[in-house]
Amino acid sequence: MDKLASLLHTSPATAWMVAKLVIVFGGVFSLAALWTWVERRGAAMIQDRIGPNRAALFGKIKIIGLAQPLADGIKFFFKEDLVPHDANKALFWLAPFLALVPALMGFAVIPFGRSFVSGGHEYHLALLDPGNGMGLLYPLAIGGMAVYGVLVAAWSSNNKWSILGGMRSSATMVSYEIGMSLAVVTIFMTAGGYDPSEVIKAQGHLPWAWNVVRQPLGFIVFFTCMFAETNRLPFDFAEGESEIVAGFNVEYGSMKFSLLALSEYCHLMTASALIATLYFGGWQVPFVQNPSVLLSVASFLVKMLFFAWVFVWIRWTLPRFRYDQLMHLGWKAMLPMSMVNLVFHAWRMSQGH
Amino acid sequence: MGVVVKKVELSWLDRTYVWPVMKGMGITLRHFFRQLFTPTAKRYTIQYPDMKKEMPEGYRGLHELKRFEDGAIKCVACFMCQEACPARCISIEAEEFSELNITQGFEEKRPAKFSIDMLRCIYCGMCEEACPKDAIWLRKDYEVAAYDRLAMQYGKWDLMNTYAKADGKENISGDPTPSVPRRTIAM
Amino acid sequence: MFITFALITLLGALGMLLQKNVVVAGLCMVAAFFGVAGLFVLLANPVAAALQIIVYTGAIMVLVLFVIMMLSSHQEEEAAVSHPVQRWLSVALLAVLAFGAVNLVLASPGVKALAVKGAEMPQAMTLQTVGTNLFADHLLGFEVAGLVLLAAMIGAVALTKRNL
Repeated sequence: MDKLASLLHTSPATAWMVAKLVIVFGGVFSLAALWTWVERRGAAMIQDRIGPNRAALFGKIKIIGLAQPLADGIKFFFKEDLVPHDANKALFWLAPFLALVPALMGFAVIPFGRSFVSGGHEYHLALLDPGNGMGLLYPLAIGGMAVYGVLVAAWSSNNKWSILGGMRSSATMVSYEIGMSLAVVTIFMTAGGYDPSEVIKAQGHLPWAWNVVRQPLGFIVFFTCMFAETNRLPFDFAEGESEIVAGFNVEYGSMKFSLLALSEYCHLMTASALIATLYFGGWQVPFVQNPSVLLSVASFLVKMLFFAWVFVWIRWTLPRFRYDQLMHLGWKAMLPMSMVNLVFHAWRMSQGH
Repeated sequence: MGVVVKKVELSWLDRTYVWPVMKGMGITLRHFFRQLFTPTAKRYTIQYPDMKKEMPEGYRGLHELKRFEDGAIKCVACFMCQEACPARCISIEAEEFSELNITQGFEEKRPAKFSIDMLRCIYCGMCEEACPKDAIWLRKDYEVAAYDRLAMQYGKWDLMNTYAKADGKENISGDPTPSVPRRTIAM
Repeated sequence: MFITFALITLLGALGMLLQKNVVVAGLCMVAAFFGVAGLFVLLANPVAAALQIIVYTGAIMVLVLFVIMMLSSHQEEEAAVSHPVQRWLSVALLAVLAFGAVNLVLASPGVKALAVKGAEMPQAMTLQTVGTNLFADHLLGFEVAGLVLLAAMIGAVALTKRNL
């Protein structure tokens, strides 16, 4: 790292920051693109089909269809970019970016590996170093911002169905945010800190000391709320083929649509990273006291990708909810459950556990 | 009379919603892995250009005009198929055919032109039913497509050659002149 | 950095005032909130920034926009008669108020203390300090605020829902 920095005439800190930026944003973005393929392939396998396996590099190299996202991207770039006549043009253009930027930014605070010391510098494997004061409030805040992408896209396209979709999804996000926040607060409380590195450190390397074992109720609530927050099935109320044509992105086409779609997958990545960090010990490797940096990154990636796969898996298992069932679940099940979780752990802590 | 719908009483385990979800996920995961480890040839999906479905007996695909063993056409241009065709896609022009060697002084009929408009054909198999000489039948080829309309007008020689390759016969493009009289060939 | 965030805040606020379209105005307000959050970060108070975004942009503005969309009038109609007198009056009032506010801030002891202490950076605010401040030092105020909010909520429900 030092050599590279001196080669580029910058300080190691700056070079490290740039490298991290590229790794995190590029990594999340390409993983999100890859996950469009994983989703289609996984769905196909679950339904005893085969799925996209024909896209080939240069028309020859058919790596089980892995070139599909590439082909999709090229196709999206060359499609006609239509803006509806009565749409609010500026907002219509702005909406995909409003959706994508928070989706990518949410990842910034999550440590994806153990910090290490090299050449007198301490390097942290997270975009925002620990002790920045924002901690895990940051992904929550950015997650709250994510509503605007959907909302603005829905409103600006001036289509009654898209507005309906946008309103449904914003109502969902707002109501599930409360239950989610309370579940997270419980973790802050038991970990005694709200920085992700503190949360990870408090969980340790033993799987039965991880938060998923200590707070199973909180885990269920958080996990469910993550589905609502990322607008994924069974809670995908921004969309809805049968009732509101396509939902908030009816009027979108070409690259703008693909940005909206990709932002959903970026959210998925961030959400699974959050689940891994909060409930599954982040980069901790089970039964290994002080893992090497590479091992810790690999452990984190395995956990994150597993949960990203669970998102796909659940999507093709469960039927969608009805809107009133969703609200019922959010307010009358999730919120009380996370309240109970919070109070129970507060009581346990007051008993000196 | 109304039907009494029995409401299913859910057990407390089912009402938590968590356990049924996990059961469902187990089912989908089982399907996933079963499909993942099934070799491509054994999956339900037939990946068309690479793999082709073997059509069942009695499938009505592209027509063939049958030939005798010596290669002469079996059709006697009786127009039965043209009459029977509900889509009116068959058109035949008959010709008289007499050659001392073969027909031994008798006049025979045979089609000079025999064309089927594959765009109009509905593959109902009525021509096969109507044919008194078993000269036309519908077989297993279902890949009937072309770049223009004219190419979908199958003529006599096209129809005689449609399955030549599949049956290991030679393509013919002219009426063969057999050496033995027609009568002696077993039908 | 300061200038960027200040510009975002000011432009957002101005846009919110001047926009005729209600939804666009709401979004301008979101931008202003975002700028304010950035300013909080610059003031070494990331907790306030995060809370600002969570509470204001993440929850309150979403609800406001939600209601606007529900009532959905796309374009406000123009006022039938313009009232230049009112406009001038409001500008004058605004100027007086702004002048007073700036004077107040400049004359406050806090600014003088800052001048004395100089570049001594204040300690970064953390959630722990916020917690102790709320629940130890200002417990009574916190509880009273909670009570007032509860009363307001019950009042709103009672006012809007005739037959409970």
